[in-house]
Amino acid sequence: MILLISLTIAIIFGAGAFLILQRNLIRIVIGVILISNAANLYIIAAGLSRGEPPIYPLPEGAQVSDPLVQAMVLTAIVISSSIAAILLALVYRLYVSHDTLDLEEISRAERRAAERLDSGESLDDRESSEGRPEREERP
Amino acid sequence: MTLTVLLPLALALLAAPAALLAGTLRTAYAAPVGTVFAALAALATLWGYLSGGGIVDIAWTPTWGLRFAVELDGLATLYALLATGIGFAVLVYSSRYVPLHLDHEARPASDAVRFYFFVLLFMGSMVGLAMAQDLILLFVFWDLTAIASYYLIGYDGHKEGSRASALMALLITGITAVLLLIGALFLYAAHGTFSIPELAGLVEPGPLLTGCGLLIAVAGLAKSAQAPFHFWLPRAMAAPTPVSAYLHSAAMVAAGVLLIGRVYPLLQQSEVLLDILLVFGVASMAVGGVLALTRNVLKQLLAYSTIAQYGFVVAMYGLGGPYGAGGAAFYVITHALAKSALFLTAGAVTEATGEDRLSKLGGLRKPLPLLAVASGAAAATLTSLPLTLGFFADEFFFAAALERGPLFAAFAVAFAATTLAYTWRFWSGVFLGGADGKAEAHSVPALLVAPVAALGGIALLGGIFTGPFESLAEAAGEVSFQAPTPLGASYRLEVLPEYLMALGAYALGVGLILSRPVWSWAALGFSRLGALAGPERLYVLTVHGLNVLSGSLHQLEIRNLRGRVTSVLLPTAVIVGAAVLATPATGAYQVGELRAEEVPLMMVLVGVAAASLATAFTRRHVTLALVFSSAGFALAVAYAFYGAPDVTLVAVLVEVVLALLYFATMKLIPYRTLRRQAAQPLLRPNRKIFVSAVAGIFAFVVVWGALSQPPAGQTVAEEYVRLTPEVHAEDVVTAILADFRGLDTLGEITVVAVVLLGVSTLLGRGITAAKAPSSADSVAGVATRAVARLLYLPTLIVAVAILVKGYTQTGDGFSAGVVAALGLMLRRLALGRGKTGGLPSARGAATIAFAGLLLALSVAAAPLFLGDAVLTHYPSPGSEPIYLGTLELITAVLFDVGIFFLVLGFSIGVVSVFAHTIADEEEYAGPQGYRKR
Repeated sequence: MILLISLTIAIIFGAGAFLILQRNLIRIVIGVILISNAANLYIIAAGLSRGEPPIYPLPEGAQVSDPLVQAMVLTAIVISSSIAAILLALVYRLYVSHDTLDLEEISRAERRAAERLDSGESLDDRESSEGRPEREERP
Repeated sequence: MTLTVLLPLALALLAAPAALLAGTLRTAYAAPVGTVFAALAALATLWGYLSGGGIVDIAWTPTWGLRFAVELDGLATLYALLATGIGFAVLVYSSRYVPLHLDHEARPASDAVRFYFFVLLFMGSMVGLAMAQDLILLFVFWDLTAIASYYLIGYDGHKEGSRASALMALLITGITAVLLLIGALFLYAAHGTFSIPELAGLVEPGPLLTGCGLLIAVAGLAKSAQAPFHFWLPRAMAAPTPVSAYLHSAAMVAAGVLLIGRVYPLLQQSEVLLDILLVFGVASMAVGGVLALTRNVLKQLLAYSTIAQYGFVVAMYGLGGPYGAGGAAFYVITHALAKSALFLTAGAVTEATGEDRLSKLGGLRKPLPLLAVASGAAAATLTSLPLTLGFFADEFFFAAALERGPLFAAFAVAFAATTLAYTWRFWSGVFLGGADGKAEAHSVPALLVAPVAALGGIALLGGIFTGPFESLAEAAGEVSFQAPTPLGASYRLEVLPEYLMALGAYALGVGLILSRPVWSWAALGFSRLGALAGPERLYVLTVHGLNVLSGSLHQLEIRNLRGRVTSVLLPTAVIVGAAVLATPATGAYQVGELRAEEVPLMMVLVGVAAASLATAFTRRHVTLALVFSSAGFALAVAYAFYGAPDVTLVAVLVEVVLALLYFATMKLIPYRTLRRQAAQPLLRPNRKIFVSAVAGIFAFVVVWGALSQPPAGQTVAEEYVRLTPEVHAEDVVTAILADFRGLDTLGEITVVAVVLLGVSTLLGRGITAAKAPSSADSVAGVATRAVARLLYLPTLIVAVAILVKGYTQTGDGFSAGVVAALGLMLRRLALGRGKTGGLPSARGAATIAFAGLLLALSVAAAPLFLGDAVLTHYPSPGSEPIYLGTLELITAVLFDVGIFFLVLGFSIGVVSVFAHTIADEEEYAGPQGYRKR
């Protein structure tokens, strides 16, 4: 069983890592969520006892699940979902300013902007050349 | 007894907020309110001192040995009187000067409020600094003065020079302040107390005292602008003139020697430290004196003079003995009176002529006679002419030097002569000589002259009625020296060696003035050398280097986003790999038995793994959402098999909200972009699969190794399970969240609230814009609406049930909040916007969320007022709770109610911000969904 849980966690983690390495921002967000899932499952699995839910009245003689890891995972789930929400908002924001979901394209644009900043041009030029007005019209 | 201490301190500390409050009502109120507070604080200090002073010593953070210990002793009275008294004069002057200054700079008159706030904050923190007896408390006030000075020096923030000067002052005094903290911590580690009087009795000469004393002394020396830290002070002249006057005489720079005077009982136990002080003092006298002789701009000349003058004070502390410690205090009084008057003179002169260079000024005694006389008195005090207060200051300096030996006596005479030379240069350059070819003067407002006259008059009177000044300086010196320091400031009809030295200094000074052409090239050369290779150059190079470093790091960051991920992951992998290799392999990994009742869990886990893997290889975005949601829901089921119903409930709810947000994001991004993105081929897929496989293998090894460890004997979880009934709970997990580990939950909900702010700021117009979207009434079909109508009321009831029964059953404030939010969304779906006003606006949701956070924080903080620790819940364990029907009334439930409202507000807020953004987008879209902007 230990081996099986470890394998499951490793697979979730590996899938998340694979998604994070991609260039599509949305897939990166999903990758972050998967990695949090792996972490949460790991914490729950690391509970020192497993059995009935830790709610009174406790069953006589039966073992009770470790409540501490449950409380920790609850906190972790809430925080990781908040992070996912803010990541999605960031994705939309990046789309608005760069008109793409592609990490590579965004990196290139950032680099161009930085070079322009170094050469002393104002950032307003960037806004007009790469901001909304240039966005492709849909057919 | 305590009122004598607390009243001056409270008045001084309240001055800044009071002026700010008055200034927000009406700009013109700030100055009078601030001035009145300064005067009251000065009077209260005087009253407190005359009634015998007093001590207030309250345990602040007892476990760390911190105490709020303030005492109005001689030293504190001296500096508190300077801060409030000179502060009063400066404020009177400012009430006229600041409007003129703002007028010149074309700034709104309301900017004056900020000026008064920070000057008064400066005053308050100086008074606190003067009284503090605890090194940490002292450090707090010390940094407060640095903050106030930063905003004052950078008051003309639209000028780049001002900002750079402010930053320089903050960096130099702020970084050295950390040395003070380090020194304090070392002393605490060795002696177990931060209290300065206690430490004075505990320390012994040795490397520890020398090290700590040096750290603390360096902080003081940097603040007092002693060479080689002196360069920030002339730059700080970028501040408006009243600030310069205050900074030099009674605040900031004075704070440095105040610190040295305060910790002097420690410092004087080490000969080495006294010698170091002497070296710094003499170096500053030399550097400041020589450079003051070369400067053309009035305020620059005075700034270098200040460096030299505080060099006298530091040197006196270094010389030691009763004349050293008492004389230093006396010198500080004298200097404060004279220097503030001279600075205010410079400001008035510049105001009258529009000119601040000595070479362009002259002959002003005719248009400005009163100013000439008043500043003449101040200048005479500074140069220690007889019949002024300054005469005695130099007498004590000479006396202290004589005790040390003839070489020091010669030094003393030489530097006193330099003082005479540059002070003469200042005063004669401005007021004497012909007015031909010099800047013309127009009349000066009386309020710019009166403070100068008052300060000069006090300095003159002090030369005749020395009693009060002498006794104050003696009291201050006694605190530093830990023994009486009789000074004896009176004229005697006999030939004392000190008198001969003073005569020598006058003669030498006149000689210096007359021989100016002979040495001026040498002084200028020294000044050039300093600019080329001095400490300021080192500072500029360091700051520039740091800027370049940070710039190149930034470049690295934006140039290669994935490289940054690698730079985090790779070292982690190396560390983890090394740890795995270092662990003995035998017995570290166990396959574990597979029991029959675990088969369902195993099947669910297989499902989770499969769904996660599928997520990685799904291309289309909608399919992606379905697959990752199913992975999440399957995981929730796995939690259920682990005996964790609370976690399952929350995981399911979170998964629902996440799916909602995911689809909202999809909706916001045009299909075309999504499709183009989905169609893009994966670059170097083999490498990516390899990297993620390695990551997975690492995770596997670590997790397997960790899970194979046998459980420890006694666990904290068992303790929690045992204690749960005592805190009137039945669900152990909820009890942990709301009670045992409530602090974690507080942190968590704060994160949630911040995320709400972040999302609403990132999306569209932020929470301030609450315009309801005006798109079509309801997009849902008839069937959906019917189902929603059926479901929303039960959902809300379930939410309330989860909330109130959370302490005894599965569920808590968090899940109740999400359920309620989902219920409200259903209601919106069922009824449409038109009939009910729809969801609360983003701003309304944020209000709900922050009200919830406030409630939770109040419940957490309330026990403080009852003398208990944070997050103590009532009724206390074991006692009988009050019942309302079957409901128990306990504060932990109230805490949960706070979480409920926070999460409700969060969920509604985030979804509604997304919804509003979608509605906005749709408004711009044409009939077929074309984008028109």
